[in-house]
Amino acid sequence: MKHHSVAAAALTLLFATATAAAGPGSLSAYSASGKSGQALPVIKETLVAPPDVPAAIHRDYPARVVVQLETKEVVKKIASGLNYDFWTFNGTVPGPLIRVREGDTVELHLRNDPSSHMTHNIDLHAVMGPGGGAAATMTPPGQESVFAFKAMRAGIYVYHCATPPVPMHIANGMYGMILVEPPQGLPPVAHEYYVMQGDFYTTTGYKYTGYTTGAHPTPLLAFDLQKMLKEQPTYVLFNGQEGSLIGDHALHAKVGDTVRLFVGDGGPNLTSSFHIIGQIFDDVQVEGGTLVNHNVQTTLIPPGGAVTVELKTLVPGTFLLVDHAITRAFMKGALGQLVVSGEPQPELYHKVSSGPAPADKAGAF
Amino acid sequence: MGRIAFAMLLALLGSPAYAVARYVKLPAGTFISALAAPNGGPQRVHVAAFWMRVEPATNGEFLAFVRAHPRWQRGRVLPLFAGPHYLAAWRGPLTLGREVRADGPVTQVSWFAARAFCAGEGARLPTWDEWEYAAAADATRRDARRDPARNAAILAAIQASTGSYPGAIGRHRADVYGVRDLNRLLWEWTDDYAAMFPSADSRNPGTGPSLALCGGSALAFFDRTQYALIMRVAALAALRPSEAAPRVGFRCVRNDGE
Amino acid sequence: MKRRIDLVFGFFLVASLWANISAAAAALPDDSIYRIPALRLVDQDGKAFEFASLSGRPRLVGMFYGSCRMACPVEIESVKRIQAAVRAAGGRPIAAILVSFDPAHDTVPMLRMAAAEHHLRGSEFELARPQQGDYRALGAVLGIAWRPLPGGGFEHNTVIALLDAQGRIVATTDGRGKVPTEFVRAVLAREGMPLP
Ligand SMILES: [Cu+2]
Repeated sequence: MKHHSVAAAALTLLFATATAAAGPGSLSAYSASGKSGQALPVIKETLVAPPDVPAAIHRDYPARVVVQLETKEVVKKIASGLNYDFWTFNGTVPGPLIRVREGDTVELHLRNDPSSHMTHNIDLHAVMGPGGGAAATMTPPGQESVFAFKAMRAGIYVYHCATPPVPMHIANGMYGMILVEPPQGLPPVAHEYYVMQGDFYTTTGYKYTGYTTGAHPTPLLAFDLQKMLKEQPTYVLFNGQEGSLIGDHALHAKVGDTVRLFVGDGGPNLTSSFHIIGQIFDDVQVEGGTLVNHNVQTTLIPPGGAVTVELKTLVPGTFLLVDHAITRAFMKGALGQLVVSGEPQPELYHKVSSGPAPADKAGAF
Repeated sequence: MGRIAFAMLLALLGSPAYAVARYVKLPAGTFISALAAPNGGPQRVHVAAFWMRVEPATNGEFLAFVRAHPRWQRGRVLPLFAGPHYLAAWRGPLTLGREVRADGPVTQVSWFAARAFCAGEGARLPTWDEWEYAAAADATRRDARRDPARNAAILAAIQASTGSYPGAIGRHRADVYGVRDLNRLLWEWTDDYAAMFPSADSRNPGTGPSLALCGGSALAFFDRTQYALIMRVAALAALRPSEAAPRVGFRCVRNDGE
Repeated sequence: MKRRIDLVFGFFLVASLWANISAAAAALPDDSIYRIPALRLVDQDGKAFEFASLSGRPRLVGMFYGSCRMACPVEIESVKRIQAAVRAAGGRPIAAILVSFDPAHDTVPMLRMAAAEHHLRGSEFELARPQQGDYRALGAVLGIAWRPLPGGGFEHNTVIALLDAQGRIVATTDGRGKVPTEFVRAVLAREGMPLP
């Protein structure tokens, strides 16, 4: 019994690591104290690829949530007919959304794919502890690190790799988000989606061809250090690919739905002026915190920050997600679609007429 | 047909084909390391003349080594010196397999094994200073690190090789000393790599002399734009000496006059 | 004449040491750090021995260099405090050895001076220098590394390891700050002592 209360107090944060990063010292005699979450029911988190989101949590008790992430370096499409060497969590940009409940203990396993070049780690902004976990998860290729933390503050948080050179790991796509639901959960909505903006720096300009090799017949764009240092991206993208939320991949809703978007900015450099053309955000959880603002046209999302926005889709049509620093939307790729289906709502929106302006009226002045 | 016969002949010849490794002499010199001095400022390093292997050690050479020294064979080596990933891509303890080319650079070797291999050819692993000094060169200059195009090309080459085995040795011109493939192909063990101490969260800036490091300081970079080098240090510093990684190989050096 | 006797005596000493080592090595587990390649040491009293001959009883092992003005004296004092804490808790005395990674400067007379300065008795606390063999391998298995600094001295880290009688690492500490209680508990636990 006494042991349990001690354990509960110690829950603040326990970096019981099982890896390489710790020296030979991390042997049994020492880590015995890291067993606190053991009494909690263990739940293995099922992760899904963006823009999808794991199912809402319907628990009213804390759990030990086991999350399995894998860092992978993958060559994938960045824009039509062009590839880029992304560094990722679980092969996607952003990495999967992790969903837990305030009070849960998260046991995070970070595996680094054996074919990686790089060492990787993870810093989750939902963690209160050294490096947000980075100090406990430096993981060479083929290894796995494990650390545990208690999710103490509800909110929507960014996670990212923090291995030197940090800006390059982030610029190559190593970010994602973790949602910590409040104990009472989030109100049910028709749709939840997950979007992250990121800026990318390639040696050739927007939509210009990179180079090909035998191994990479599709042109492969190369990372451009100088452009990153100058903070002049060639691509600004939602979910790591031009067109990731367009056409077949557009977000969908029906007239009258409430849509909840978890929107983050991985950076590394640009702040997003997030806007949906033809919509007003009913609620914005400002900076992902507890302050809720209403009737917002454009919300700022800084690199390493996130917001939850909710909007009611009242009128059918295709609505564009943009960074309203609008060059980025139309000249660098930061464009997505929300397609709302349903009956027209003429009382809310309809076109009256168009054509040549009547000459008589014009002359009447 | 002729090609197959030639391959079989090579296979028959086995280890003797790899017996002599080429070394070239690098003259003594002084350079500014990309690693910061303990006070965060530039660190001027003097390197005495030494001889460096023209190319990294190959799978074929390492196979000959483990044949001659069975205690370094996979399955026999003490776990103290080599972990479970040791030579894991080889088909067997004494078989490379089709994917693993005899003339390709050997990887997944522990620091202990790399040192033993070098000792076996009367050499040693380079110090970090020696490695960095050598790697500052390109085909025409002894210190080409200020050339953004050269740095960009190295970065691009490293990124372009994602997902495949390490490339073949010798695809690029030898550098001004005659050494090949220092920057683009592999992360290479250095003898003192473990003494480049990153703080547990390496984003902490170097905070000056620390008691934990006996007056030394946590790793910091004086030149923060040498990304290929920073990646290299990050990759090496995370490894324990018994660990082996698919991108980590090595080459040996000899003191001048030995 | 005296010299000759020394030589003969030395021969027997070495021969008997070898016998000891091979007998001991056969029994050592795969993860025993006594299985590093042969490493011959000399301590502050001029006594030469094989590192592997230290097996047979639990021991504190670390590395240092004598001209270090900062962490190394702290390390020595820390080892002394651990030994004192074990004694105070009723444990059997635990022997310690720190091996120099700067043999060029840390000669036997230098070791003797350092030992005197810190009041170390060779029977319970040895300062030693490598005489022959690969002492960087010892550092590597202990998690200790060093690099010479251009201005002199070394950049290095500090690890004090508790080895069991077979040479397996039971616990480690960086030797900073107060007495590492967990570490001392680990030492006592090796002997089945009640924990304080
Ligand atoms: Cu990374």
